[in-house]
Amino acid sequence: MHATRHEAPEEHTMGSDTDSRLSQFRKGVVELAILALLHRGEAYGGEIVERLAGHPGLAISAGTVYPLLSRLKKSGLIDSVWRESPVGPPRKYYRLSVAGDIEFAAMARAWDGVTGAMDELLGTGVSR
Amino acid sequence: MNAPEPAPMAGLTPEAAALVETYFSRVHGALLVAAAGECEETVEDLRAHVLEELQGSAGTAADVTRVLSELGPPEALAAECVDATMGGRPVALEPAEDHSKLHGRVFGVPYELRPPTAARVVALWWNPLDPHVFVPTMFGLGWTVNFGSIAVRLGIVRPDDEDVPFAAVPKRYVAIALVLPVLVAGFLGTLIAVYQAALPAQVVNHWGITGAPDQFGSKESALFFPVVMTLMGLALIGVTWIRTRTPLLRVGAGALTTWLGAISVADYAQRVATAHGATGAWILLPGIALSFLLTFGLLVTLSRIGHAAEVRRDLDKGSKKGRV
Repeated sequence: MHATRHEAPEEHTMGSDTDSRLSQFRKGVVELAILALLHRGEAYGGEIVERLAGHPGLAISAGTVYPLLSRLKKSGLIDSVWRESPVGPPRKYYRLSVAGDIEFAAMARAWDGVTGAMDELLGTGVSR
Repeated sequence: MNAPEPAPMAGLTPEAAALVETYFSRVHGALLVAAAGECEETVEDLRAHVLEELQGSAGTAADVTRVLSELGPPEALAAECVDATMGGRPVALEPAEDHSKLHGRVFGVPYELRPPTAARVVALWWNPLDPHVFVPTMFGLGWTVNFGSIAVRLGIVRPDDEDVPFAAVPKRYVAIALVLPVLVAGFLGTLIAVYQAALPAQVVNHWGITGAPDQFGSKESALFFPVVMTLMGLALIGVTWIRTRTPLLRVGAGALTTWLGAISVADYAQRVATAHGATGAWILLPGIALSFLLTFGLLVTLSRIGHAAEVRRDLDKGSKKGRV
């Protein structure tokens, strides 16, 4: 965990090729991150942005989250519903659909496989 | 571009060699024109890999089938290669016309030569999900503004206030997107009816960067730009309203026509003012600003109405459930 936090500032010194490769790489991960967050319970847009922004390693902004929420909703993996808010205007809450639950389970399993394999490949010998 | 030399197929039976040949020609056939050049090398590497795998075997058709089956169908392999080469851009999903040279970038500046459609108007002008304020223009060269992003920045809307833009707007309010541009066109018609006859024989047709007139024409030529622009907009509205009931498309057509109409009014009013002795572009420039403001107002208003309808639908559902 500690190591991950140290990585983020180093990106500024990397080339633009590295940046675009990293952003490609993150896009897929952020989708899983949103599903994982909603798997814990429903949340509204601003809350999702805020909670994911709490993980600087993911480098997520509102500009990334909202288009993904819209896409996940169009593909039927998440549902949304407007609810009154105790403060201010109503909020749109997102939650996993049944299809989303199944997809999340499959993606989480695949993620375990990927991280396991990558840990082995990167090994402890590779300086991280 | 010369394709790399195919690897030799030594040690294979003619039947097996033909199988390899057929497989890779299908891969090449399935590659998109756009990516063919860049994928060629990858495909040749794969072909070399297949032949290497076959080295240790008897080189029969059955061996070839076994090795090739690991690669999957040739079309899927081609799609994977294109996807990897083009950086995951969804080239294969875009309609065929998108492979044309009608839109793209020159020296980093976007250009668009396809005529604007109602769908593209909304995709560019009203996309609150996209934080970019400047987006590629819908026609010509350069950029246009994403009013949706401005509205989000101003705190007027939230990015997810509507599932699909304007989808929940009740029919009677979608009509605003018809009435407003027709009113603007009517205003232009009135201006023409009142002022055209009194215009001098020669009018200013163009103003330079400094605001000084630099091109002149007959008084009829003053009508060309505003009338053509407004009629094109009205034609788009007509076609859209006849062909579809989708609010998104109707609003898109209405927004573009409102903008074209307002620009036309500003243009014509400026010509009339100049003919009456005005100097500088003191009507045209504020008029252009006003045309953007009017369009912004139309899109924001309809989006707020759509948002309110969406919220009401969910809250009503919730309260009904609560009562049961």
